[in-house]
Amino acid sequence: MTARILVVDDDTALAEMIGIVLRSEGFEPSFCADGSLALAAFRETTPDLILLDLMLPGKDGIEVCAEIRTESGVPIIMLTAKSDSTDVVRGLESGADDYVVKPFNPKELVARIRTRLRPTPTASTTVLQVGDLQLDVAGHEVKRGTSKINLTPLEFELLLALALKPQQVFTREMLLEQVWGYHYKADTRLVNVHVQRLRAKVEEDPDNPRIVMTVRGVGYRAGSSN
Amino acid sequence: MNSFDWRSYIDRLVRFWRASLQFRTVAITVLLSGFAVIVIGAFLAVSISNNLFASRSIQVQEEARTIHNQAQSTFDAAQPADDQAPTVELDNVANSVTDKILPSTTSPGSTKFTIKRTPGQAETPQNIQPLSSTNFPDEAVTDSLRARVIKDVTHVQLQSATLPGGSPALVVGSQIRVPTAGSYELYLVYDLSSVQTTLGYVQRTLALGGLALVLLIGAVTYTVVRLVVGPIRLAAETSEKLAAGQLEQRIPEKGDDVIATLARSFNGMADSLQKQITRLAELSRLQQRFVSDVSHELRTPLTTIRLAGDVLYDRRQDFAPATARTAELLHTQVQRFEVLLADLLEVSRYDAGAVELDLEPTNLVRLVEDAVDGMQPLAEQRGSSVRLVAPGGYFEAEIDARRIRRVLRNLLGNAVEHGEGNPIVVMVDSNATAIALTVRDYGIGMKPADVSRVFDRFWRADPSRQRTIGGTGLGLAISLEDATLHDGRLEVWSELGVGTCFRLTLPRERGRAIVSSPLELPPDDAIHLEEVQDA
Repeated sequence: MTARILVVDDDTALAEMIGIVLRSEGFEPSFCADGSLALAAFRETTPDLILLDLMLPGKDGIEVCAEIRTESGVPIIMLTAKSDSTDVVRGLESGADDYVVKPFNPKELVARIRTRLRPTPTASTTVLQVGDLQLDVAGHEVKRGTSKINLTPLEFELLLALALKPQQVFTREMLLEQVWGYHYKADTRLVNVHVQRLRAKVEEDPDNPRIVMTVRGVGYRAGSSN
Repeated sequence: MNSFDWRSYIDRLVRFWRASLQFRTVAITVLLSGFAVIVIGAFLAVSISNNLFASRSIQVQEEARTIHNQAQSTFDAAQPADDQAPTVELDNVANSVTDKILPSTTSPGSTKFTIKRTPGQAETPQNIQPLSSTNFPDEAVTDSLRARVIKDVTHVQLQSATLPGGSPALVVGSQIRVPTAGSYELYLVYDLSSVQTTLGYVQRTLALGGLALVLLIGAVTYTVVRLVVGPIRLAAETSEKLAAGQLEQRIPEKGDDVIATLARSFNGMADSLQKQITRLAELSRLQQRFVSDVSHELRTPLTTIRLAGDVLYDRRQDFAPATARTAELLHTQVQRFEVLLADLLEVSRYDAGAVELDLEPTNLVRLVEDAVDGMQPLAEQRGSSVRLVAPGGYFEAEIDARRIRRVLRNLLGNAVEHGEGNPIVVMVDSNATAIALTVRDYGIGMKPADVSRVFDRFWRADPSRQRTIGGTGLGLAISLEDATLHDGRLEVWSELGVGTCFRLTLPRERGRAIVSSPLELPPDDAIHLEEVQDA
């Protein structure tokens, strides 16, 4: 099955070029050039992944991202002309999984897309326990007791990476490699922002985390099961 | 301790003297006018006292002469008509003489008299009993005065004396011839204490007046100097504020005098300065904005070009050789363009002040190792070996790893580029306050004039030199900004034909000042480095 990718970008030449690259890599692109139409386009095409430009006419990319996040955990990769800290962090906080800074090369873009579309690593056990949470690995579900917690695929993968090796402390670089597929030094803010988002959903008290623990100066580890 | 305090007090005074024009002016004025007042006052006091005493002595002489004449004529007139009882009559005459003396002086209360018989004369038929007013100070009549009186019969003799009470006095003596009783001396003692009192009063008044005058002059000077210095001080303060960047600072303009002219011309200067600075700042802002906008606007088309170029590049085997080469050139040049654009953007971000540090504790040695490993292939290609010398120690420091890595890449790139295939030595060390690294090459080096321009944007030491690494010319400028942003330093030493050494020093903790760099610049020479390497 070919993955459908929605490209939201107002620059038609760039959108077309991205389309050419995506098609040559076996994806099925669709396009939207206006921020205010992006949500409708998303509902219509139900893509497997969205490439979202931050600077859009009609509606800001960050707003679009937040809107889509309210109804779907679909992977979103931001295309940003700015590597300025504030914009990137705002984009990540509004729910984008990853970002690519213009100008990017085709391999970089495709690598990012493939990482987000790859299947979740299979685990030997089907249900994992993290603190008072149960992770249903096959069903991509997280439950506290009987109530289900909605996580995006990325957030689930992040939690799963920690839960699979509860004894291990993960550095941000390790998580970047495992969850985001970066094999070189990348932006550790990706980890920071998504850990915050994950905590906001799974922790009972995000200021006093019990599921995703911080190990000062090193990184993160999963909370103990009991 | 006391003398020390005294000295510090003097020091303070000297400093105050130097610092305060107002104090200095008032002090000089008071000193000079005080001197003048003292001279004038002393002159006045002396001449007044001279005058007072002179006039009093003339008066006293006149009086004494009158009294003498009176007494003499009284005695002369008392020639006995018969020789029967001359003695009794003479005593009566003497008494009547003395009765007349006191009323005829100007100050009967403070005048005393005595009549003495001149010693050493032959027996006379009659004698007048020595007569004196009460409490006559005998010691005021000295022997020298008596000698003069005896010698000079016709004139009254004057002498100043001091009374037992300490007040000054004038003693006047004269000789009286009593026909039947021989010669007698009449002495009058005038107490001058009233004159002395008057003089003292005058002197006190003069002193007080002089003091008051000096104080008044001081106060007037203070006020005048204040009037003049005040605006000047205000001008100085305002210009300091202006210099500190508060461009809207002005001096209030009051009146039409020279001070107001100063204020007006100062404000005029400030106005034109502000206008110029604002204009330049605006220009600079516009330019920065332009660079930033251009860089941003270029990014989207560049992305498209890059994607297109890469797609063509990936398929270059399918093309004819010339087209394939075109695709290759397109690919490499787009990459170069991209690097240049990224650097331009970074510079414009620095110019706009929109840069934030992303600090985390980082092991500098590991970071340097990574960077050296990354540069190794290129260095080998140029025949250079890169050695890392890290004497050990604690190297964790709060830095923005991304920026420091970029600085290192730049320094290493430059070293490889200009190293002439000689070894490159990277040293890392730290001390209590700072961490430092040096990148040393033994290549062509630079002229001193070039060294000073090495951090300038788009500056190249030798424009004709072939570039292989293809830096943008912004690398060192950005590196310097990166170091400065860390509150650190990036310094260079270079000598033509000997080599170049860059030293980056960063504070170990954010906000702590660097006391000294752990590494030397200029570097310890090559031999030393070799030894360290062998050890």
